[in-house]
Amino acid sequence: MSGCILRARAVVKRVPTSEGDLTILDGIDLMVEAGAQVAVVGESGSGKTTLLSVLAGLDLPTSGDVWLDGEEITALDEEQRARVRARSVGFVFQSFQLIDSLTALENVMLPLELRGQRQPREDALGFLERVGLSARTTHYPLQLSGGEQQRVAIARAFASGPKVLFADEPTGNLDTATGGKIADLLFALNREAGTTLMLVTHDAALAGRCADVIALDAGRMQASREAAP
Amino acid sequence: MTLSLALRLALRDWRAGELRLLLAALLLAVGAVTAVSLFVDRLQRALVAESATLLGADRVIDASRAVPQRFRDLAEARGLALADVIRFPSMASSDATGRSQLASVKAVTTGYPLRGTLWVAGEPFARGRRTDGLPAPGEVWLDSRLFPALGVKVGDTVSVGYADFTVTAVLASEPDRGGGFMGFAPRLLMHAEDIPATRVIQPGSRIRYRLQLAGGDDALRSLHDAIRDELSPGYRWRDVRSANARIDSALDRAESFLLLGGLLTVLLAGVAVALSARRYARRHYDHVAVLKTLGATPAEVQWGYTLVLLIIGVAGALAGLALGALAHFGIISALRGFLPVSLPLPGAQPVWVGLLTGFICVLAFGLPPLLRLRGVSPMRVIRRDLAPGTASAWTYGCAAAGGLGLLVWYSGDATLTGWALAGAAVTVSVFAGLALILLRGGRALGMQAGSVWRLALAGLHRRHRENVGQIVVFGVAVMLLLIMVLVRTALVDEWQSRIPVRAPNQFVMNVAPGEVGAVEALLKAGTGYEGRMFPMIRGRITAVNGIAAARWQRQRPQRREQPDGERDGPGGRGRPGILRERNLTFLADLPKHNVVVDGQWWAAGAAPSASLEEEYAAALGLALGDSLTFDVGGLPFTATVTNTRRVAWDSLQPNFFIILSPGALDGQPATYMTSFHLPSERRAFLNELLSRHPTVSVIDVDQIITHLRRIIAHVAQAVELVLALVLCAGLLVLIASIQSSRDQRLKELALLRALGGTRRLITGALVAEFAALGAFAGVVAVVGAEITTFTLNRFVFELPASLHPQIWAVGPLFGILMVTAVGYLGTRRLVRTPPATALREL
Repeated sequence: MSGCILRARAVVKRVPTSEGDLTILDGIDLMVEAGAQVAVVGESGSGKTTLLSVLAGLDLPTSGDVWLDGEEITALDEEQRARVRARSVGFVFQSFQLIDSLTALENVMLPLELRGQRQPREDALGFLERVGLSARTTHYPLQLSGGEQQRVAIARAFASGPKVLFADEPTGNLDTATGGKIADLLFALNREAGTTLMLVTHDAALAGRCADVIALDAGRMQASREAAP
Repeated sequence: MTLSLALRLALRDWRAGELRLLLAALLLAVGAVTAVSLFVDRLQRALVAESATLLGADRVIDASRAVPQRFRDLAEARGLALADVIRFPSMASSDATGRSQLASVKAVTTGYPLRGTLWVAGEPFARGRRTDGLPAPGEVWLDSRLFPALGVKVGDTVSVGYADFTVTAVLASEPDRGGGFMGFAPRLLMHAEDIPATRVIQPGSRIRYRLQLAGGDDALRSLHDAIRDELSPGYRWRDVRSANARIDSALDRAESFLLLGGLLTVLLAGVAVALSARRYARRHYDHVAVLKTLGATPAEVQWGYTLVLLIIGVAGALAGLALGALAHFGIISALRGFLPVSLPLPGAQPVWVGLLTGFICVLAFGLPPLLRLRGVSPMRVIRRDLAPGTASAWTYGCAAAGGLGLLVWYSGDATLTGWALAGAAVTVSVFAGLALILLRGGRALGMQAGSVWRLALAGLHRRHRENVGQIVVFGVAVMLLLIMVLVRTALVDEWQSRIPVRAPNQFVMNVAPGEVGAVEALLKAGTGYEGRMFPMIRGRITAVNGIAAARWQRQRPQRREQPDGERDGPGGRGRPGILRERNLTFLADLPKHNVVVDGQWWAAGAAPSASLEEEYAAALGLALGDSLTFDVGGLPFTATVTNTRRVAWDSLQPNFFIILSPGALDGQPATYMTSFHLPSERRAFLNELLSRHPTVSVIDVDQIITHLRRIIAHVAQAVELVLALVLCAGLLVLIASIQSSRDQRLKELALLRALGGTRRLITGALVAEFAALGAFAGVVAVVGAEITTFTLNRFVFELPASLHPQIWAVGPLFGILMVTAVGYLGTRRLVRTPPATALREL
């Protein structure tokens, strides 16, 4: 798999505060090849999460352009960006972001149903089985442990067959052992599906498992290096 | 988002308990409105049917000549039941005793009366029993008063004109006797087939023809439409309302009240729907953000949730209809002892009212909060503080218009709705200000209080924005209840005072001047009479300011002479005609139940003056200073109009359109009249009165009064029912309002528990907080209720307005009890939840 799936050019994000505008992203340029695994690292407040939001089309930059899967998402309205997300993007969040009122199975079915897939139930069951939760399909998020909730979130992220998976501190809310298992699962599924992975983390070990690492400092890209093999 | 996905989402939300409150609010809105509408519809039909017995029919056509065959054909073609009533005065005599007496003859055809029943008795002045029969041809039934006057008994023969009849019964009462005074003379009831034999109907005879009609509303309306143009001027179409002013005003006010009650139920239920929808929407901000990251477009979110709401709307409306129907059966069975034996079946209207209420509630009150979900940013998955922007003014404008439309449509009365809404708008803004002041004051007090109260008042102040909202909502709910109680009390009191227990039920007329003292003494001894004798002379106006009355009348063509001889005098308000002969009286002082509205009552020895009833004067275009020339017994005299009066027509006292100053009628042959109360067990007194003063006429209106009392009792019942429903709606608003702050409370309580707050402290703080909220709400409710009842009583019900100190303590106390009870029950579980679980739920 090759070709550029994600590209940012001169992306600037400023937000107004009581003491004037605060620059969160300051001229970001990057290109991500399809199938790549990229970690975005930096200290708290360096702009990692904002960069992920802008690249995934959840938020718009103040200036600059972003292309995702061949679409210039910065030129689209929210309606069109949602369609791009439905087609090409999956998410895994630090706080899991499962819907409390839905069971594990229903949470995984949701993106499939939104796409109008024919057999959302069967497909979702398959993904739950792959993350090792086939026995807990009827459980609600509050009845699951943190690790289990994140596994449901991962199953949901991969269920829709995304081209790019954005993961925001996917192990940030978990203990080291559980976090390790979740990371293993994430990378295994990613390899299997050939998905492009954009991973925001401040965990050096996790970043080390990615081929590329982008370091941010005060909204600027400090370095883009090939990770050690 | 497809319908099936929306259905699945709705089902999942339902299972998770997210939609229950919304559905409950909707269920109550539709249920309450349907129950009220069904009950009111059926009760109104029953009331109209019962009132119709006063007319003896659903509608009647009155005429001074025979009713044309064409009217009958049209009526029969519409499936209406018909009966003829022909009335004329005639002498009845007994050959055996040689006595005769003027009787008011009523000849009827089979089927009469179409509504209500005749009562007959075995002997004069005895209690009657119902009968379905009529006098057969050759028979007559006589009023009790005719027996002593003619010296006959049941079984004897009496003559009317050229025909002889056997007296077969005493006529105790007839439904359509009415309060009219053509019935000066006692009744003689005979079959219409006997009229030709009497040969009393001659050209020029004073005969009244009446065609009674009964049947469905649609058929009656269709008949009226078909003959409307041919009715005027010779025939008069009458219904219950035009037949009886007292019933008219009682029904009108009852309707206004029931509508007001229904209106408030709709408003309260609407608020409950809005609050539940808001809570539902808030709980879905995160849900929608996740959906959006998964690729749901804003349009899909909007339509998806609109569909969910519509599904809930359909479910709620249908279930609400069923609930309303059940509730109204419950009400009917609870009130069985008080209601007419069988209520008529309801029309389709209540069902439509219920359904439409459901949908408009959903769209006007429920949809705006849900439309905000469209604007939830997907970024919320990362930054939870991102709330959606407020919905556009357009959205809320539509909602307000929908709500307003619903209210106007439901009440069918823009004025009532306008007042209610204007009151609500002013109240809400005043309430908000007052609530803020109370909260600030509460916080300052709380600083000095013990820990429970400090916590509670600090809590109140911390969430002051939500709490101002809650105080306003609680306050409005309590206020509406207070208003209903106050207005109900005022209405029922007023209705009851209108017909006091000892209301006059007998009118005595034709008392000769020489008999006045003796009759008064007899009445005092027999009944404890404390009334007043009114002199009475028949006379007509012949000229106004020197212009002949007929010409004066022509200059005002819209004021036609009504061909109606029955509507003058006490009890019946006629549309005035200047040419008609009137009962005139002369009095030195203003009678009770009369108020001078313009000009001055005359002093002793004033020049000949006239006092006119205000509406009569207005209808004839007469004003203060006009000079009226009267013809009394062929002698003309002139008097100047010096004042106009407002008359309480329903006071059951002798009332007059025209009162003259003493002296104006000096030397004219007056007779006297009065009214008095006669307990039903003392009816034999009438026999004594009539035997000692045979020329005196007594008119018995006891039947009518009993009837009126029953109608008023039913109406009061209905009014209480509506009050109960408004209470339910008010409670629902409280529950919805407390539920909407549940999540935030849960968070605070969990933190307090985690920080070491004991269950006791937290429960105490919660109870104290709700008690304070309730007290504040009670205070604002009292203020609002006083303002609103003043306005309603003054301008809508036209009742005297005053302050109600009794609610000043009751309001806050009621607020405390209600809000604390509902609040504590609604949050009890939160206190019991272990803090760890509570914190995880956040």
